[in-house]
Parts: sequence; C-alpha cells; structure tokens
Amino acid sequence: MIDRIANGFHPFVLPFVFGMVFVLSYCVYGIVKILRQLPAEDRKHFFVTLVTPKYIVKNVWDIFANCLLHVKLWKRNRLLGYMHSSIAFGWFMIILLGHIEVFLFMPSRAKFFYYPIFFNFFVAENETTLRGSLMFFLMDFFLLVILSGIVLAMIKRIRSRLFGMRRTTRPSFLDTIGLYSLWAIFPLRLLAESFTADISGGSFLTLPMNWLFRQFLGNNLNMLPTWWAYSIVLGIFMTILPFTRYMHIPAEMMLIPMRNAGLKIRNARRGFARTEVFSCPNCGVCIDACPMSVKKANVKDCTVYLNRQIRRNNEKRIEEISDKCLLCGKCTVVCQVGVEGSVLRVVQRSTRNYAINQDYSCIDVAPFKSQVAASSGNVLYFAGCMTQLTPSIRKATISVLEKAGVKYKLMDPDGGVCCGRPMLLAGRFAQAKEMFDRNVEIIKASGCDTLLLSCPICYKMFKDHYDLDGIKIVHHSEFFSQLLDEGKLRPKMSSEIKYVFHDPCELGRGEGIYEQPRTVLRQLGTLVEAKQNLDESICCGGSLGSLSLGFEKREAITRNSLDNLCVAHPDTIVTACPLCQTTFGRYSDVPVKDISQVLDSAVGEKSA
Amino acid sequence: MATEQSPKVSTPRDIRKEERAQRKAQRQGADAAPERKLEQVIIIGGGIAGMEATKQLLSLGYRPVLVEKEDHLGGHVASWNRLFPDMGDAQAIISTLREEIMDATIYLSTEISFCNRLRDGYNVMLSNGVNVLARAILMSTGFTLFPAAKKEEYGYGVYDRVITNADLENWFNGGDDHRIPSSPKAVGFVHCVGSRDLKAGNPQCSKVCCITAIKQAIEVKEKFPEAEVYCFYMDLRLFGKKYEDFYIRAQRDFGIHFIRGRVSEVSETINGSVQVKAEDTLSGRPIKVVLDMLVLMAGIVNNPDNAGIAKQLSLETDTDGFLRSADNILSITESPRKGIFLAGACTGAKTVPETVAEARSAALSIHNYLKNLQ
Repeated sequence: MIDRIANGFHPFVLPFVFGMVFVLSYCVYGIVKILRQLPAEDRKHFFVTLVTPKYIVKNVWDIFANCLLHVKLWKRNRLLGYMHSSIAFGWFMIILLGHIEVFLFMPSRAKFFYYPIFFNFFVAENETTLRGSLMFFLMDFFLLVILSGIVLAMIKRIRSRLFGMRRTTRPSFLDTIGLYSLWAIFPLRLLAESFTADISGGSFLTLPMNWLFRQFLGNNLNMLPTWWAYSIVLGIFMTILPFTRYMHIPAEMMLIPMRNAGLKIRNARRGFARTEVFSCPNCGVCIDACPMSVKKANVKDCTVYLNRQIRRNNEKRIEEISDKCLLCGKCTVVCQVGVEGSVLRVVQRSTRNYAINQDYSCIDVAPFKSQVAASSGNVLYFAGCMTQLTPSIRKATISVLEKAGVKYKLMDPDGGVCCGRPMLLAGRFAQAKEMFDRNVEIIKASGCDTLLLSCPICYKMFKDHYDLDGIKIVHHSEFFSQLLDEGKLRPKMSSEIKYVFHDPCELGRGEGIYEQPRTVLRQLGTLVEAKQNLDESICCGGSLGSLSLGFEKREAITRNSLDNLCVAHPDTIVTACPLCQTTFGRYSDVPVKDISQVLDSAVGEKSA
Repeated sequence: MATEQSPKVSTPRDIRKEERAQRKAQRQGADAAPERKLEQVIIIGGGIAGMEATKQLLSLGYRPVLVEKEDHLGGHVASWNRLFPDMGDAQAIISTLREEIMDATIYLSTEISFCNRLRDGYNVMLSNGVNVLARAILMSTGFTLFPAAKKEEYGYGVYDRVITNADLENWFNGGDDHRIPSSPKAVGFVHCVGSRDLKAGNPQCSKVCCITAIKQAIEVKEKFPEAEVYCFYMDLRLFGKKYEDFYIRAQRDFGIHFIRGRVSEVSETINGSVQVKAEDTLSGRPIKVVLDMLVLMAGIVNNPDNAGIAKQLSLETDTDGFLRSADNILSITESPRKGIFLAGACTGAKTVPETVAEARSAALSIHNYLKNLQ
C-alpha cells in the first residue's frame, strides 16, 4: 500500500471531521454534566466500580452484547434483532477493521483520525495486499451485512407489521433527517469504494461494481463527488446525532456501567434519570405493550413519548404523561434498554408542590398495638383496605388459615393504618413514610414472625420499603403454596374446571411471584394460560397508579385485559389481588375469583 | 286474523279467553268496521305497564296480546307488599288490573323467540310456537334490580345479616328469611346501592329508593318498635306527592335517624352482627354503628333482556342502557321506529303512578297511530 495523496489530506474529509469533533465534544460535555449531577456518594461508588476488574468485565461484556449484538432483542424478535445487530455490529467492525488496516499498512498515518474512515481514497494498491486479500474481503463482507440491515430498516418503515410491531413512534423532524442520513451513509460508502476499487483495491463487492461502472461511465470522474457525499452525510449524521434518537448509541454505553454499579433514579431529570432518557432509542415497543394504548387511545402517553418530552423540556406534557400512567411496569419489561418508565414518573410526581400536606401525627397507634399484642399466634394477617372492601377474600383467607391450623392474628380487624402505597405512588414520600413508621410499630408490637398479606399492593410496599428486621413478609398465594407443600391442606382436585391466572402487576412484575399461585391452582384444577402472561400480563385497568385516568376511560383497558385472559376459554379467572378482582368483576362474563376463594371452596373441612 | 296456537300450549283457559274476545269483538262489530276492531297489538312484558296498556287497548276496541316471561302477571309490583305513600296494598292493585284484562289474550311463561319487520308491521314468534302479526308493538319490558352482591364492600351474600329491599318486601309478604333476626336492636338502610354510582356501572338516580327506604324504615319500626332505625343517604330526593310529609312523619312519629353520608364498608362482628362505617357529612365525622340487620336499597337498572329484542327490532338504547324514546318530552312513549311504542320502566326508573299514566298514554299513541294508518 502506498500513499496516493501526498500529505494525507483532502478537503472532502472536513464535513466528517467537523461532525466527529462536534459529537465527541458533546458526549464529553454530557458525561461530565451527568457525573456532576449524581449525588456525591453515587458518583464515588460509580468511579470505584469503573476500576474494579469484576465490574470492568461485566461492563465490557454487557456493552458488547447489548449495544452491538442486541442479544435481548434477538430473544424477543429475530428479524428486529438481525436488523439492529447487522447495522451496529457491522458498523463497529468496519471502523475496527479500518483502524487495523491503517496500523498494518500505513502506520505513519495513524495520527489522522479520519484516515481509517476514508482509507480507500488515500491509498493506492501495490502487491502488499494480494488483491482482495482478507482485509478487503472482510470490509466488503461487513458492508454487505450493514446494507442488508438497512434494507430491512426501510421495509420496516413502510410495513412495521411484518416485524411484529403494530404501532411505532412517529419520528420527529430531526429524527427523520437522522434516519435518512443513516440510510444514505452505507450505500454512499459502497459507491465511493467502488469508484476507487481499481486504484485502492477491493473485494467481491467493490471490484465487480468498479468494473460495471467503468463499462458505461468510461472515466472515474465520479470518484471525488461520491467521497464528498459520503463525508457530508457522515458529517450531517454526527452533527445532529445529539438532537435525535440516535443519541441512544453513546448514552446506552454510559447507562450500562451506571446500572451495573447499582445506581438508582433519585432526581426526575438529572443524573441517572437523564442517562435513561437519552438511552431511549424511540423504538416504540412500549406503545404496543402499554395497557392504556388499547383502541389507539393514550398512545402519546407511553414511555417513549415521556422520554421525548423530557428531552424537549415540555413541562406541561411531562406532567400529564407522568400523572396518567397506571404504573404497571410493562414498558420496562419490554424495553430493550431498560428505561424505568414507572420510576421516572413517580419521581416526577414527587417534584410537585402541594398546597396542603397531610399531617398524620394525630393517628394514635396505641389501640392497634394493644389489640395485636393481646391475641396469640405467630402469623400476623394484614388485610389492608382493598381486602376490607372485598370481604369475601378476607373471609376465605381466614377460613383457609383456620382449616390449615395456622395460629394467626388479625392486624386490622377494626380499622388499621394504610400501607402507604397510594401516597408513595403519588410521589408523596414524606406522607408515605409516616404510614411506614406507624405500621412498623404495630407489627413489632405483635411479636409475630410472619406478616401475611392478601393484597399485592400492600405486599410490595412492605417488602420493598419497610424495615422489619427478620419478620418474614409473605403474600397469601405464596403462603398457600407453602401450606400445600407441607401437606397442611388437602384440596379436592377438580380437573374438569379450567382456571386461568391473572398476574397482578404488583405481584408479578413488582415482586416476581409467578410460580406459587400457579402451583396452588394446578392442585385444584386444570390451569390454562392467557395469551400474554407472566411478566407481560396486561394490567386490569384498576391500578392506583394513575392520578388522572378517568373511570370511563378504563373500561376499554379492562375489557382488553379480559379478552387476553379468556383466549383459552377458562371457567374461572383467578387472580391474587382484590383490586384486580373488583375491576374485572365489573365487566367480566366469566366469574372472577381470588385464589383464596378458590382454595377455600376446594378444601372441604379442616384437614390438619 | 286468528291466533294460531299449537295444541300443546293452549290451555282450556286460553281457549275460553279467545272465544270470549271473539264474541266481544263480534258484538262490537255491529257499529264499526270489524277488521279495525279486531286489530292485534302485541304487548311485551306483563308488569303494571303492560297490564294497564292492555286494559286501555281493550276498551279502545283492539285485541291485545300480552306476553309475559314469568308464570304470573304484575312484574316487580306483584312481589311488593305495600306501596308508598298511602301504604296501599300492592296485591290489590295487581288483582284489580288482572280482573280488567280477562278478555285479552295472555301468554304466560312465554318469551320472544324472534321478531322481524314486515312491510307494514311486525311478525313476532313466541317461545310457545305462536306466531303473532301486528302493526304495533308495545315494549313494557321494565327493569331489573341492581344485583347487590356487586357492591361487595356492603357484604350482600357474604354476611348473614345483609339483605336487600326486595328481600324485605318478600318477608313482609309472609316469606321466610333466616337472615332477619327475631328482635333486632338496630337496623340500617343504605340508600343508592347501585344508583348514582359510576363504579357500579349506573350513574342514574333510581328515583323510588329514597321513598321506599323511608316506607320500609317505618314498616320495620312498626314491626320492631324497640329497634333503632338508621338511614344512610347521600341526598333525599323526595319529589312526589306527599313524599315530604312521609319523611317528616318518619322522623317525628317514628324516630328514624337519617345520616347524610355514604357507607364506606361493612364488616362482620364476632357475634354475627354487622358493623357499618360511614361518614356523617353534616357533622363531618366518621361514624361506626353496629347493626343487627342491614337493608341495601338496590336500585333500578336496565333489563338485560331488552338488548336482544331491541337488536331484532333495531331499537336504540340510551347511554344508561335503557331504551331510547323518540323524544324525551313530547313523545316519550314512542320509539324512533314506526309502530313500536314504549311504556314504563323500560325507558328509565319510574314510580308506580308514573308507569300507569305512561301506559295509558302509550295506548292512546298506539290508537292514534293505527287510526292514521287507515
């Protein structure tokens, strides 16, 4: 290989150089800004992980697997996985191979950072590369891989349904420019390299194209304009990248080490939250996943649009979107980058200034404490408000406890203190904390070693936010499964009854309890599954999470969720949440029961 | 036009009725055009609206065919005991009406299998195999009571001491009900159960429950003078004749306590009584009362059977699920479809006198409609 341009420079590289310098400076500025926004202890911890070998290995592997290979996306949808990884990994390989070429063949030019990108323009081939040798072959091969990805991307833009996506985001103006310039980069590179292939050498793709063009063009005057075009398109893409969805490419590389370091969202807009927002690739997978988006409603309130509005600082829309969400958490499950839509919203809610802040200091816990201390038993059953409003669940749960011979106490037979979840979901952390403190006092006064809950909303609260040193917190579905394992209950099996289990948001996605209720139901009858189940189960629509979604607007959500549950024609819909049961009960043609009710009727009389 | 009756369903009583109607029609045939006088009108639903309309149509010289799905006439009123505000006997009203429509064709325990539209009328196929052709149909299909178990927090079907207004009337009528204690110390009435309650699926006022609750509270107090009686209401809508007097009497003469505030939840005490939590919104305080019996005033919701018939006749339902009138002021008894008329609670909650008046009005509308077709 020999230099074709004496000083290793040509003005056509300037657009690219400008774009690259701009995007790199922007990223450095962004990184510094985000790091400064982190709370001091988080920042310190983050720096420590960056030099800890264990974390370094994990970070490198995660970045490689997620940003380049898109492993998570492959598992979900192979076509989309191929499309993304072909472009990302192919592009990465071309850049990497370009650098290797420079180091191998032109080490003296390694100081020019544009050189690897435009290598074929600057060099003329002599015998050293052996015509279409390995490097040229690989360059052509990865370019072909990228081009196949680009073709898929174009098809997806026209027919997203072919890729399993019913709806996708509407790109903003800059996104569209970014998209078209990204699409243009690789065909232009192919053309540019083809026009110079007879000088610089090429492989199975560029050499035949060079020959073909020569047949009808007869000269190589197109060479320079094409390299100019390639550089300009690269320059455009790099320059607008910080203002488009493609910002997710550098942001995700920052997000992965931060998440591995265990950082949490502490501020609605700054630090870790900001990294998450910029990591959103605007793919729109969350639109189809969002329970509110049924019948094309509320599409603009999905997490992808929250991220977009946060980037635009559109305060009015940010508030609306944050308030409306049911906080079911499904968008986070399907998100390729793991943007925590629910957490972002709750933290956003916490920034609001309320005219009145409730004062709960008047609540006297002394009577509750003496009530729980008076009775005997080691399992403390807290029904909570939702179960109090569905007395059949409370009755059935107590009846099962009796039949299994469990020594239990009631924590709220005649009123109690709220678990605090509604306040927490509304972002009113101080008020929620007051509830925690009071309940902890009552629970500790009981002397019990197990706290039993029949409401997943309370369960999540006690499990995640209470410090109950050593007291075991169990949901009744878990507890029943355990009682069955221990042989304390002998239910009657009726295989002719078909049950379907609805995974409540707070129990499934919230606490990862999927198997225990199913274990119980398999011992009572035939278990069938919903179309979308487990971590992709659809919210019933009754969630406490939404602060502004009206009652009438929730009907479509509930009906959609019911349709999803009834695909296998169950005889009974079973759930483990009083709120889901009430919500479904309103519109369901199939009876809706709590797991305690189904179990209680299957366990005839006292078996232990 | 003779009614074709399949032999297995025609009872001797039905045949006698037919003959009587024919004889009557022949008698009247002397002074009017016989084919008009013999014109059939189908009346779907044999509650008080259907019965009253039948009576009026008979006297206007038509041949009404009354179809009732239950095995008796009278609808909801037939299972009631006494009616406000004069404590009139519900059974007496039904038997008077029944006497007056002896000449009509009445099919009991019969439902509508299907109906279709002809060029100038309707063809209605009944579940007993009878086919009726008529140029006018009167829908008097009534309402259903809100299923109180749907408001689970009130504990109907969960706790032993919670009953509904209908259960109480049944007991007044001599029915047996183990849930009603022999000497209760305290009894509560919850107004608006499944009425004016969006979450229960019915935002409308049921109109009659306020006054029914007052009536039943007085009756309970009469039966159990020792008991304290509480009414939990959100508004008292006492619009009708003598209703206000009735309310004042309940407070003054019977000492019934009226508490403004919705009941939030009901729970069971150890000895089987029920504890009611509510807010007294007049004093702004939460209250708790232990009761020996709780009566839920289940509201009036649309009859789900209407949907099927309405679909076949292309009738529209309103946002509240009840049938839609052509106009809510001038033609409340007419549907938007030619030849189909509406009477009573199939278009919304109504009191007994309102229903009866509407049935008369519907009969007159049918008469005018058929006369103008000639």
